[in-house]
Formats: sequence, structure tokens, C-alpha cells
Amino acid sequence: MRRIGRALPALIALALGATPAVAHDVPYSYLDLRLSGAAVEGRVAAHVVDLAHESGLVADSLRHPAYLSRERARVVPVFLERLDVRDRGKRLTVEPTRLDIVLDRGLVAMTFTSRLEQAGDRLEVRGPLFPYDPQHETYLNVFDGGKLRVQDLLTRDHRMAAIGGEARLSVASVVREFLIQGVRHIFLGPDHILFVIGLLLLGGSLGRLLKIITAFTAAHSLTLAAATLGFVQPSPRLIEPLIALSIVFIGVENLRHRSESPDRRALLAFCFGLVHGFGFASVLRETGLPANAIGWSLFSFNLGVELGQASIVLAVAPLLAWVRSGSERAAWRVAFAGSWLIVGAGGYWFAERLLAR
Amino acid sequence: MNRLLATATLLAVLATPARAHEFWLSPSGYRPAAGDVVSVSMFAGTGFRGEVKPYAVPRTVRFVLRGARVSDLRGLAANGDPVAARFRVADGSGQLLAYESNFASIELPAPEFDRYLKLEGLDGPLAARKDGGPGRERYARCPKAWIGAGHAERVTQPAGLTLEIVPLADPSTSSRLPVRVLLRGQPLGGVLVRAWNRPLAGAGAGAAPVDPAARDSVGPVAEKRTNARGEAALDVGRAGEWLVSAIYMEPSADTQAADWQSFWASVTFARDARRENRAP
Repeated sequence: MRRIGRALPALIALALGATPAVAHDVPYSYLDLRLSGAAVEGRVAAHVVDLAHESGLVADSLRHPAYLSRERARVVPVFLERLDVRDRGKRLTVEPTRLDIVLDRGLVAMTFTSRLEQAGDRLEVRGPLFPYDPQHETYLNVFDGGKLRVQDLLTRDHRMAAIGGEARLSVASVVREFLIQGVRHIFLGPDHILFVIGLLLLGGSLGRLLKIITAFTAAHSLTLAAATLGFVQPSPRLIEPLIALSIVFIGVENLRHRSESPDRRALLAFCFGLVHGFGFASVLRETGLPANAIGWSLFSFNLGVELGQASIVLAVAPLLAWVRSGSERAAWRVAFAGSWLIVGAGGYWFAERLLAR
Repeated sequence: MNRLLATATLLAVLATPARAHEFWLSPSGYRPAAGDVVSVSMFAGTGFRGEVKPYAVPRTVRFVLRGARVSDLRGLAANGDPVAARFRVADGSGQLLAYESNFASIELPAPEFDRYLKLEGLDGPLAARKDGGPGRERYARCPKAWIGAGHAERVTQPAGLTLEIVPLADPSTSSRLPVRVLLRGQPLGGVLVRAWNRPLAGAGAGAAPVDPAARDSVGPVAEKRTNARGEAALDVGRAGEWLVSAIYMEPSADTQAADWQSFWASVTFARDARRENRAP
């Protein structure tokens, strides 16, 4: 026992010796923006460990001015690639002016200048700077006309900050921003596109198709609003696999359909629309809602989703009708093949989302 | 026995993923004289070694100093400042600092999350996790620091944090420290309370701690579970800087954000060498 007692300090020393020399357990970065009219001066700072990871350079060496100066051409592009400040939706072009080492903090800072299209433009800053690290946080400070206007923290849960003050956000800019987000979400998420196409594959009169799409719209609007306003917030771990399952279900329903069986698509569209609405709410939540324009942002996001859907219907429904007018058999073949494709894709997403749990 | 406990826990800590665990307030000195300016930073890490966590304005729910009077420290530091507050000590007695953050979130793969629950003694959530899914957690920080000594009522009265370790005696003078853990103001039984100890940089200069980023990790030297009254007594007789920490986890109130929510309470203080053997 005495021997163990003597060995313990050595064990501890060995164990401690195994700890990494360059620990970086609290990952963070900084972005300061100073606006003066249309002119922008900025400073972005990141830890040497993150910069080394991105550039392939040696973290500890980045603390030495000579090394940093020599490797400037590899460090600056990391900042330029990661910095995402947008003016009127377009990424700002920045002009690096200096690289500094903040020695006692293990940081390297790049100062830069840029220019807005017009003074007073609303800016969006997206982050955090290294989003692949889920714990990374970017401290954002924005000065406008010499006064500190925004103090924010960009994290995995809060990926966008709007600059210009919410009070200065016009209704038009909120509507434009969230309308685009809604449309973008429909077109970036193939699961929603396939679900809508699945509803259309069997065709039908214009009135019937309108009824189906309206049922889907009404249902997802309900749950989108309920979740965004905080009345009910089911876990995405439940919702995401359910969305995938809804696609499989629609495909199977199409394959099982016989000409004499009743058309249940409007009912299914409504039921599954409730689930898709929760999915839309997760996206809207990640976008970051302006506190004083929740109503407008919710409305315009939903409108964007509807526009996205409508454009899919307008592209797909006439095409299917044209095929059907040529040959019922060809239309059936398209519906058959399309439904199997939808079942396959939905099944794949379902398995993928379950395995990711 | 304490050494064995320390070694076993330390080795377990080192075997876990390199992500910050404890969170504490570190003042520039634990024994300031009246009129001295004290600066306070926040640290996150394991084994009482950590990195500075810059002050985050959007994350701060409360930050108060209880001295001769109660002062709100929010807004003294800029967003991202490594020093969370600087204040002048009005009297030579004890000063309590209390901070609470809102939630940040993290997601860990199932094995890693289960290992962390086991390591932190969070037996309830570990037993309740049946689905084997990843650990989706949001966590809030509730650290306190006790600077100086005297006017014990400033530290023995709760500060109103969601999870709080309340010393029931002046920690700087009690070698066996009784604490009560409160959750939303109510005693919390069965929670694991741990204590770490590090030497101070020196008795001079206001009993400054060694820079937490420049020192080695250590294992806890004491740990106890609270009884039904939420109380536990820890042996904190050694001189130096102390960190006492407790974690509570419960199902998340916002299931869209996370499945679990945890609160991390701590209290830091220092004991002088001359008080090492004094009875409570």
C-alpha cells in the first residue's frame, strides 16, 4: 500500500503529462465592425488553434510575428473565407489591411476595410466563424457612428445577426428577407419537393389539386405558427424522421391506389402537413426572428414557402397533365416510377435520420 | 484515500473528451484590502485548470456583487472582454459575487454523453436515457466567488441563482465546510458536490490565484452527495484556492432545443495557511 502511495504522484504526473500542450477547450473568435456612413472598418480575431486547423500551419508558430508575416498568404484566406457579412444579401468584399498577434490571448487578428452599397443599409452577419465546431462562439460588436449598437454572440443556435437595429428594420425589408428564406427552404430541401410532387403524381382536376395543396398549406401554416409562437415545440428528433416517413407513405399510397378507390390525398396532405409545419418552424427558428417583427416574419416566411410550393405545382402539374393527355398508360408509368423513387428517397432519409439519433 | 480518489477521478477526467466542464469565477486576488480594485474573469475547464471564457453580454442573466451593498455588475464589461468585471472593494470584509447565464446547447454522441453523465454522477438522467440517442443538452452556468472573509451572512444567504451552492459558514475560515444546494430556492437532495484545491500564487498581492490556464489539472479532493435537506459537509482544511461544484440535470423544458437541461453551480474561495487547522 505504501508503495502504491509512493507511486501515485508519479502516476498523476504521467497522466498530466499526457494532456495536450495546446489546449483550446473554450473555442471562440471576435468580430468588431465600425460603421461610418457607407465605410466599414472591421477586425476579426481567431485563435491560433483554429487558424492552424484551417490553414495547415503550426498553431504555436502563429504566435511569432516573423512566422505569421511569412505565412500571411495562407492565414488571410482563412479569414476571408470565414467572414460572412452581407449587404443587401450580397457578401461584402473586404480589403485586409493588417495582421496582428494578440499574444496573451493566443489570437491572430486581421483588420480590414469595406464599403456598403449605401449608408444605412441593413447588414447581416452570419456565423459563428468556424461553424463545424459546435461549441465555437463568435463575439460580435458593432459600432455605428462611434456608438456601440450591437453586442451579440453567434453560436450554433444563433447563426445570424441583423445590424442596423431592429427598430430600423422596415416592414418591407423583413418581408423581403423572410420571403426569400421561405422560398429558399422549399428549394433547398428535396424532402418537401418530393412530398409535393408525390401528391401530384396521380393527377386530377385543377379543383382537386387545389384542394390537396390547400389542405397541405393550411396544416403546415397552423403548426408553423404554433411552434414559432412557442405553443408547442416537438423535438426535431421526432419530426425529421416523421417527415421522411410521410414521403414514403405518399409513395406507397400512390402505388396502392386503384381507379375505383377513394382519393385520400387531401386528408393525407393535411395530416402530414401538420408534421412538415414543425419542420419549417425549426428552420425559421435557426434563421433568427426579429423580436419586434415576429408576425411579419412568420407571415412572409410562410408566404415564401407557398410561393415555392406553387412554383413546383405550376411546373409539375401541367407536365403530368400533358403526359396524361397523350397516353393514360404513359401517365401511369410516370406515376409508378415516380412513386417508387419517392418511396426509395423517403426510406433512405428515414433510415439516415434514425441512425443519426 | 483522498489521493486514490483524486487519481482515479483525474485519470477518468483525462480519458473524457477535451471539452470544458467546470465553470468558475476567478478574482485577481482573494484577500483585497478596502479600496483595492479587484478584477474577475470566468474560466471553463476540467480539474480546476481552464481557459478564460470571455464575458458575453447576450448570455448574462444576472451578475451581482454583495458587499456593503448589492451592486449589479452587468454592463461593466464589454461583450467579449476577458475580464467580466472590475470593482473597488468598499470594506475589508467578505464580498460575494454571483453570476448566472442563460442556456447554451451542445450535442454529444450517445456513448460520450453517457460517459459524461456517469463521470459527473448524474445517475438519474443516465438511468432515464432509454433510447440510446445522442445527448442533446442545454446548460446554464451558476458560479459564485467568495472574496475576503468576515460578514459571513453575505455568503450564507442565497443569491437567488437557479442552482446554487450556499456555504452555511464562512468558507475562508471553516475547515469542514457545510453547504446547502438549492434548486430554484428549494433544497436539492442526492446531488454530487465536489471540491478541488490548488495552491495560491502567494500570500502576498492579495492572495492571487495561479493563472488557471497555466497550471495543471488536479482531481477533486472531496466529494459528497447532499442529504434530503440538500446539505453536505466537505473537508476543505487545506490552504489555497478552492472550487466547490455541483451539477443538476433534468428533462428540458424546451424539447425543440434539447432533451436535457443542466445547471452548473460552483463557488470559489481561498483559505489562508494560518487558518489551515482552525476549527469551524
